[in-house]
This record gives sequence, C-alpha cells and structure tokens, in this order.
Amino acid sequence: MTNDFVLQIKNLSVSYRTLNDAVSAVRNINLNVGKKESLGIIGESGCGKSTLSYALMDYLPSNGSSTGEVLFRGENLLTKTQKEMMAFRGNRIAMVYQNPYSSLNPSLTIGYQLDEVTMFHRGYKAKKARKASVEALADLYIGDPAGVARRYPHQVSGGMQQRICIAMALLCRPDLIILDEPTTALDVTTEVVILDIIGELKEKYDMSMIYISHDIGVINKVSDRIAVMYRGEVVEVGDQRTIFKHPEHPYTRALINCMPRAGVVKEEVRLNTIPGYVARRSAADTGCPFVDRCEKRNADCEAKYGMIERASGHFAACDRAYAEDVPDRKRAALKIPKVGNGSAKEEILLEISDLYKYYGNQHRRVRALDGVSVSLEKNSVLGVVGESGCGKSTMGHTISGLMAPTKGKILFDGIDISISWKQRTPEVLRDIQLIFQNPGRSLNPSFTLEKIIGRPMKKLLGIQSREERKKRIVDILQKVDLGEEYLYRKATQLSGGEKQRAAVARAFSIAPDLIVCDEPTSALDVSVQASVLNLLGDLQNESGAAYIFISHDLNVINYISDYIMVMYLGRICEYGRKDEVVGPPYHPYTQALLSAVPDVDPSLIREPVRLEGSPPNPTRKITGCPFAGRCHRKIGPICDTTPPPKVQASDDHYIMCHLPLDQLGDAELDKPGNLTKTESLMKTVKA
Amino acid sequence: MQFLTWLIKRLGFVILTLVAMSMLIFLLVEVMPGDVAQTVLGQSATPESVAALRESMGLDDPLPVRYGRWAGGFIQGDLGESLYMRGVQINTIFWRKVGHSVILALTALLFYVPLSIFFGVLAGVKAGKLTDSIISFFGLATMALPEFVSGILLITLFSVKLSILPITSVIPIGQSLWGNLHILILPALSITFVMFGYVSRMQRSSMVTVMNSDYIRAATLKGMPRGYVIFRHALRNALLPTITIIGMNMGWLFGGLIVVETLFGFPGLGSLTLSAIKTRDIPLIEACVLFITAIFVFSTFLTDMLYVYLNPRIRFKGGDA
Ligand code: SF4
Ligand code: SF4
Repeated sequence: MTNDFVLQIKNLSVSYRTLNDAVSAVRNINLNVGKKESLGIIGESGCGKSTLSYALMDYLPSNGSSTGEVLFRGENLLTKTQKEMMAFRGNRIAMVYQNPYSSLNPSLTIGYQLDEVTMFHRGYKAKKARKASVEALADLYIGDPAGVARRYPHQVSGGMQQRICIAMALLCRPDLIILDEPTTALDVTTEVVILDIIGELKEKYDMSMIYISHDIGVINKVSDRIAVMYRGEVVEVGDQRTIFKHPEHPYTRALINCMPRAGVVKEEVRLNTIPGYVARRSAADTGCPFVDRCEKRNADCEAKYGMIERASGHFAACDRAYAEDVPDRKRAALKIPKVGNGSAKEEILLEISDLYKYYGNQHRRVRALDGVSVSLEKNSVLGVVGESGCGKSTMGHTISGLMAPTKGKILFDGIDISISWKQRTPEVLRDIQLIFQNPGRSLNPSFTLEKIIGRPMKKLLGIQSREERKKRIVDILQKVDLGEEYLYRKATQLSGGEKQRAAVARAFSIAPDLIVCDEPTSALDVSVQASVLNLLGDLQNESGAAYIFISHDLNVINYISDYIMVMYLGRICEYGRKDEVVGPPYHPYTQALLSAVPDVDPSLIREPVRLEGSPPNPTRKITGCPFAGRCHRKIGPICDTTPPPKVQASDDHYIMCHLPLDQLGDAELDKPGNLTKTESLMKTVKA
Repeated sequence: MQFLTWLIKRLGFVILTLVAMSMLIFLLVEVMPGDVAQTVLGQSATPESVAALRESMGLDDPLPVRYGRWAGGFIQGDLGESLYMRGVQINTIFWRKVGHSVILALTALLFYVPLSIFFGVLAGVKAGKLTDSIISFFGLATMALPEFVSGILLITLFSVKLSILPITSVIPIGQSLWGNLHILILPALSITFVMFGYVSRMQRSSMVTVMNSDYIRAATLKGMPRGYVIFRHALRNALLPTITIIGMNMGWLFGGLIVVETLFGFPGLGSLTLSAIKTRDIPLIEACVLFITAIFVFSTFLTDMLYVYLNPRIRFKGGDA
C-alpha cells in the first residue's frame, strides 16, 4: 500500500499500568503527516503529547502499552520488535528533545556521538563518518565544526547543544523528524535562530516534521497544520489559520485566549482563564475530556461529542467554541484607578543606585549586576525582563535580602536595605515579600496552609490569637480563589497552580508594601498562568502594593507592568513606561526581544531580528556597550570602547545606546546595512 | 594548566593530612597508660635501671623533640626498633608483612571488583526483574554477614567438607608466599563476601539512574543496539560513583584485614598490628597505624585522580566556551 502520507496514526492509544488502575495517557488518536508537511501538536503539560511522540517510536516504559497502528510509509511500527525498530530510529525517524544538555552523553565527545549514527546506519568507517558529522554541524551554521566535534557537550552553550542535537537527527536525512519542545529551554533570541534553521533544513532535505510544544506562538511559526491535544485526546486538528481564526472546540478557543500577547495589557483586558486544572485520566473515564472545565457546556453537548470533519481538512470533537446558548463570560478589564492620574507623581518607594553584585573570585568574577540604578513608585509594577544570565534574578534577590549587594545602595522608604535579610529590621522583612518561580520548593510540604500562611502573621504581624489569624487566613484564601476547605490541606496536596496561589496568599497575608515576583508563572501551564496573572493584577490593584516583576517572557511583563526595565549582562538597556518601551524608539536589544517573541496571532508574526551568537561570558569585563557583541545595529568601535550614554527619550523613558533617538525606530530594520535573514544566518556561531 | 595546580594542591593536602595524622598517632600512643621502660624491663626492674633505660631511649626529652626524632626516622625509612623483640629493626619484618597484605588485598580486589561491577550492572539493566531481585538479595545477605562468620562458613565448606583448601593461611617456615598462593583464596573470598553487597548495590543504583537518563533514551532512539548503549553510553558514567566507593574503601580494606588475617592466621599487616597491640610494642603500633593511614590518604587521592580522568566535566572545567 502506498500513499502520500509519511506517517499515519490510526486509533493509537497508550495506557500505563499503575498500582491501582490503568492511566490512559493517549487515546484514540488519528493523525496523518503528509510528505514535507509540518504538523504542530499543542497542549498543556500532562496532555500526552510527549507520550505520543515516544509511542510513535515504539519506545514506552515497561508499564506502558499501546494499541492501534502507527504506519510509517505503510509499515506498522507497533508490530516491530525492538531490534527491527533500530533501523527506523535515528535513521528514518529522528527525534530532538527539550533538554539538549541532558540528551547528550556527558562523557563522550560531540563528534563521537555524531559519528556513531552514520557508522551504524550507513556502515561508514570512522573517517567518512567524521566527515559527514562535520558537514552536518556546518549545515547548522556552527563555526569551526571540526573543533566543536572534538569537544564535550558541557563545553558549548545551550543553543549550540541544541544545534548539535538537530545536526545529529539530520545525519541520515530522515523522512520524519519529531521535535519535542526543542526550544523551550532556550532564550527567545536563541529560539528564533533555531526555528529558522529548522524551517530551512526541512525544506532543504524534504522532511516531514512533527513539532510538539506548549507554546502557541512557536507552533504557529513552524506548522502547516495543528493538532490540539487535551487529556490524551486530539480535540481539534486543522490548518494553522483555521485553528487560530476559527477554532471550533471550546478548549482551543480558551487556550488561545489565555496567552498574554502583544497589545494585551491589564488596563484593557483580563486574561481568559480555564478554571481547574488538567486532571489525570483513568482508562475507565470516557466522554468529553474537557467537560469539568468547559464554559460552553450544556445539557446535551456531551451526547454529540465526537471527532467530525467540520470543514474540509478541519476536524473537531466539538463545535461549541462560539456557541451562543451559553454566553461568553464577561471579561471586564481591571479597573485601574491610579491615584494622581499621572499628573502628580507617586512617592518613590524603592530607590536603587549604582548597584553591583559580583560572584566568584578574582580569577573568575561574574558580574551579575554591573551598575544598576532605578527607582520604583508606590503602587506600581516594575517589570524586569531579559534573558538568562542578565542579572534580573540577582536584582530581585538583593532587594528581597536573599543576598547583600557587593556595592551600591538600595533605599526602601528611606531606609538603607543594601544588607542581607538577617540584618534587616522586622518592619522591613514584613514590608518586602518574595514570590518564587517554584512554589513547591518555597512551601514546607509537611505544613498545612493554616500554618504556612499563619507563621509570618504570627512572627511579623504579631497576631498571637489563633482564631484571629484563622479569620484572616480564610479571608486571604478566598481572595486567591482557594476556599476555606484549603485551610487544612498540606502543600503536597495542591496542584501547581494552587501552590502558587497559596504562595501569593502568604505574601499578601501580611500586607507588604513591595513584592518581588521572581518568574512566578514560568513553571505553570498557560491556562493556570493566566489565572495567577489575573490574581496578581487584582491584588496589586486592591492592596496598593508595588511589584518588582521579573520574567523572561516579554508578553507577561507587558501584560502586568506599569514600567519595564530591559536588562542585558547586568546592565540596564532601556527603562520606561510600558507603552513607551514596547514601541519605538527602542534600544536595539529591546527591538530584538520584541521581534523574537513568537506571537499567538499568525497574522501578527513579524520578521524577527536575528542576533548572532549567544550572550557573552559574564566574567568578561565590559568597557563599552554590553550588547556590542551581538548587536545588529552596532555602529563601530565606539560601541566596544565607550559606555553608551543614557539618552532621555521622554519624561521617564531612557535608552542606553550610542545611536541617536531618531534612528531607533522600526523602519530602521529594513534600511540597508542591517542584516537580512540569510546574512545573519551565515554569521555562524562560535563556540 | 588548571589541572596541574589542582594536582599540586591535592598533593599538598595529602602531605598535610599525613603530617597531622602522624602527630595524632604519636600523641595517642603517648597518652597510652604504662611506662615504656617499665614494660620493657618487666615489673621486677629497679627504679635506677628504668631511669637509665629511659635516658638511653631518650624518653625524657620534651615531646616535640621526640616527635621530631621519630618522624625524621620515618622519612628516612627507619621505622625504629621493636620493643618486644629487642634488637630487631622493624624494617626487617614490617615490609614483608605489608607485602603479604598488599597481595591479599589485591587478590580480594581482583575477586570482588569485577564480580560486583558485573552483577551490579546486570541488576541495574534488569531493574525490577527477577535477576535483579536475586542479585540484590544475595548482595544484602552477604553484606549482613561479618567477615568472621563468612570466613568460618568458607572454611567449613572448602577446608572441612571438601578439603581442597587449607584451614589456615600460614606460610610454612622457610617458604615464601609465592609458592603458597592458594592460601590467599579463602581470606580473599571472605573479604569479597563483605564488599560484594556494598559495591554491587552501589553499581546497581548508579546504573539504574544512568539507564533512565535522557541521553540513554536519546542513544536508544538514535537506533543504537542495546548492548552498545549499555557498554558505550551507560557504563562509563555509571562507573564513576562505584570507583569512588571502591577507592574510599581501600583504607577500610586494610583495616578490615585485621579480622580476616587473624581468623586465617595469615602473616600480614593485620595480624602484625594485632600482635603489636597485644604486646604494647609501641614503635611497631605506630608504624602499622601510620601505614594504614597512608594507604587511606593515598587511595582517596588516586580515586580522585581517576574520577577526574573519567569525567570530562571536571577535567575540562574552566575551559568552556
Ligand atoms: S462537549 Fe460540551 S463540555 Fe465538551 S467541549 Fe463541547 S461544549 Fe464543552
Ligand atoms: S551602543 Fe552600539 S552596540 Fe550598544 S546597542 Fe547601541 S548600537 Fe548596539
């Protein structure tokens, strides 16, 4: 049997045996991947998308079993033995994983791990295999490929490691490549370049592709067709535009609306949320998987549930996304009654001047903060954005007192707090709270919420009566949408979103003036992230506390902040009111970040600025502009030698760049002299 | 270059440890009750003769002077004179016994290292299966048996029931160990019994961790054969913790020899130490204990070197991009 499909998945189900029951991880999946087609699979964590990818390779843990058919060019892979599968794996179907670092063997050289692929599948001798490996690395625009081949994985950057994994996958020119969240662990500016290369090589080698991600924006960029998965099922599949513009399934619509995106700000819209969380599904559970969280549910919708072709090539299990019998929930914008309405300035709450934080010793000094000065008004949100290693978390830590700065002053309400928390007064400890990325780790797992939230109340607010505390705790729990019944739950009994709510409740329980939020939503699924963001917005508004909100995600920062500060290598690139920062004139790095953020709406996708290389070594002393090594607008030697001036663009909008303001706009991107796509790609990365 | 500085630092540390330990040993023996001269001369000696002996042995000198003399002798290879066997230079007996013990330890190592690594890897690869359970049970059972129990069991089986090996491991007078290698088997086996469970469990757990790692999954999904994945990709990484454990136990092995050697009457460092303690032969005790300490320190050092050699993440630290 021959047809145009490279891969046909028919009624594929995967279940895991556990001690008590069988968990159904993937059920009844029917999908086809055509020649040269790129299929995107999107879903939140626990939706079974990764299980699906391993099932396609017939690689399941010993307690897992699959039924159905996976036809690869007509051959059913599920009936093959592990030995027979060897001829397919890495040869005709290749995979790339989320975490490149752990996917490479730490004790073998990069070259060795590449060579063995062709030696096994093609029978190449060592020399020929190495030649093929070096060529494959060069295909991925890696500078000095022969030298890189001699290195060990830990000696190259994360972006480079992922390029190596992709090169490895492409060595045998597979018919199908499966990419499982390949850019999730990378910074956005690195992600852009990797996505570009993937797209280019897919064309070059006529491959089909399955791209799995939780990020709608990324899926958007790379897919021709998109399948939406929820609790193990594909609930909707269709071509990219249809899925975004005319989703039929309520889940698809809800998911798209959850994502913070360009132009969506707290002053105008409330993020859509999906109540509840993704529950584990037992094999016995049938019917609509979304029923417990769906807004559009009515009496007889479940009876009609089933995968039907709604339009040509567009399948959906339910068509009630815009059903009118159940009206859309009102999504009122946050009412932001800013006191003083812009004219009279708010008082300054926090003033940071010339802050430095160094790690390490004299030989290897990491300059995590390299002279940062900024101030924060009462009742406002300062978003701090930048890629990993830019010093944003260090800044949060020095403010919250987890560490003392090396040099510089932090004034909080007039008190110098450039000291660690141990030396701070109880009032300061009470007035500055911290919310972490990983709520699980900051909540003591053996304590009940009553104890977790009650402790700071007792210690820092001095409320001795247990009854009094309990009353307040219930109050605050209700505010974060956790009912009274949560009072006696332990942290381990909560889902990820609930834990973060509990952490928020704890932070607010003692009415602080400033809360440092360090990537508070990065570990959460988009639907949960949206509800936590809404909650943080509401509480801020209500309590008048100020936030320092740290995130790598510009969309999130843009949603929640009043002011934005963009950081690179321990320094500030740009600072200003939110609307001014995300619009021109902007710092070249801000521009690159903005353009790199994958957008949810396919019609809004812009041509991204591609930065060469990866952020330089933070141990190097910088004499000029920190961004000079990667800047696409670099003027010349002046950028390397002279620190850029702080140029005031408006009332409180500053850009640190040598370029004159009138050249820092959008149009500048297309001017001659700026890098075009291919040119920048040709600029290969050095290790 | 960084490696070299690291090496020099480590070596300096080794020497420092040895010096500190030697002081400690010297002091400990110092505070042991009883007067050395009295011990040597017996209870009936007159105070004058004791005083004279003290004088001639230099026992009245201040502590630092005595330590200096003792340590200086050690550095020059002079271990001093035995107290119990008067007039016998410790050197003449000590090194022969040490040699015996080293041979015994190496034999034991030769037995238990390949055995426990092999079965540990096997159990790790077959984790959760019957093979794994059998190996793990056996490991636990042998680990729970002290050396003297397993030694007696071995003697009963091989010497008494089967009579293929001698009950004791004594070297007949006038012969050397080389002609009597079979006497090594039982003591080495009983050491193997103790170490097997320990090392194989370690090996198993590190193998399980490695086999569940992302890079093993990646190697499998690259289409590499299972055996190749296990030997090329998994083993090297899984050996690292085991090597540390084996190295760290070298010192313990020598200490543990005391029991085994005594049980079998094997003429090695262990039984020498024991008899030195019994006869309060202070210079001999000091030599034995210091030597065991030195083995401890050096084996840890060598282990670290090997670990660094096998682990490129440490080897090239600082040379990254
Ligand atoms: S069947 Fe009902 S509950 Fe399920 S997705 Fe459709 S509308 Fe929602
Ligand atoms: S100062 Fe130079 S290198 Fe830095 S951002 Fe401006 S143009 Fe780019």
